Amino acid sequence: MQRKMRTIEITLVSLFVVLIAIGANITTIAPFLVVGGVPITLQTFFAILAGLILGARLGTISTTVYMVGGLIGLPFFAQFKGGIAALFFPTFGFILSFILVAFVCGKMVEKKKTVTPYIIAALIGTAINYIVGTNWMYFAYLNWAEAPEGFTYGMAWLWMVVPLPKDIILAVVAGIFAHRMRFSVLTKGQFKHLRIGA
Amino acid sequence: MMEKMIFGRYIPVESVIHRMDPRAKLIIVFLFIFVVFLANNPMTYGLLGVFTFIALLLSNIKISFIIKGLRFLFWLILFTFLLHIFFTKEGELLVSWGFIKIYEGGLIQGIYISLRFFFLILFTSLLTLTTTPIEITDGLESLLNPLKKLKFPVHELALMLSIALRFIPTLMDETEKIMKAQQARGVDFSEGSLTTRAKAIIPLLIPLFINAFKRADELATAMEARGYRGGEGRTKYRLLKWDLRDTLALLILIALSVTLILLRN
Repeated sequence: MQRKMRTIEITLVSLFVVLIAIGANITTIAPFLVVGGVPITLQTFFAILAGLILGARLGTISTTVYMVGGLIGLPFFAQFKGGIAALFFPTFGFILSFILVAFVCGKMVEKKKTVTPYIIAALIGTAINYIVGTNWMYFAYLNWAEAPEGFTYGMAWLWMVVPLPKDIILAVVAGIFAHRMRFSVLTKGQFKHLRIGA
Repeated sequence: MMEKMIFGRYIPVESVIHRMDPRAKLIIVFLFIFVVFLANNPMTYGLLGVFTFIALLLSNIKISFIIKGLRFLFWLILFTFLLHIFFTKEGELLVSWGFIKIYEGGLIQGIYISLRFFFLILFTSLLTLTTTPIEITDGLESLLNPLKKLKFPVHELALMLSIALRFIPTLMDETEKIMKAQQARGVDFSEGSLTTRAKAIIPLLIPLFINAFKRADELATAMEARGYRGGEGRTKYRLLKWDLRDTLALLILIALSVTLILLRN
């Protein structure tokens, strides 16, 4: 980190960590978010928002803090679980990808004023999430579970077809939402003095 | 909802493991993830099992409680097990039933890998069951302290973790309240296509984010009003104490790893 964090940055990042944790568990409060058996987790959605709203630097910090906290056992991950064992779950790659997702999303919309770059950044963020997550899943099965040869790379990707439509829709929503948040809320009115994302 | 959060979390009972230094527990749990991969035959898996169960007994936590918390794990283990049963084609053919062929090698490998996950998760979950989250954060801060020389923001990391931990229940409750309030105003979350439902989360998100920003702002003001100016020279209310039992526990783990290395094929 190049410069010291301001107090407001520390608290804002902490609250984004909370938001990602809530996103991972949204179905426990909002059971209606299950569409056709697939729960809409908002974890990736919030990781994208962290990058888009807070910018690359603070977004990356919040996703990293989220991951570190979850790994040492704080109740940040899905089902309020946490612990170093998560490292060996096939789905850990998705959590790891959040750091890159937030960074890339944040970098892409720096100094951008219109909504289109926000939507494109969110879609690219989703793609990164899928690529890193699925590859991790494949290698996790291959190495830690010592999966036999019958388990192919294609099989790992087959898993990801089901949640794809909802993630694309959510990415578009994230882009529009982040743009609004940044330009109608954060840089105006009561939060203007925070000087975040401006 | 709150029960769900506490469930599978810290259990406040008296035990040797509860009294251990969180730093020792963090180091041991971290090392254990490597140790668990040392086992590769019945002897070593047995030894690992005995070690894990003794640790569980020492923690004074009801076994039934731990098993209940591990239910989610069942699918992961079942999946890994089935993957091996159906795809590994080594050793003698045990069952041949239509297109399903189960080989001896697959069965053994399936059991081993399932045990590996089982022990790993059982043992590492002891950390969160016997240590309060705040102790864990303090322990991490203290362990990472040497990194301060490399300009790594150790203090900020620990502080952010503690704040996040503190605000999870608050923001969860708020989310629930906002949802009910919006439903009362006529937002329909439970019907319509994927797109309509994705759009329906916006009236949930806007108040949630504004709330989060407000809290962050107020908290920062409160911290600065009380003289917060970074980690330098800050003293602690809770002090960590490294005892003989912590050194002993670490030595036992090292002894276990050495034995496993000697016994493995």
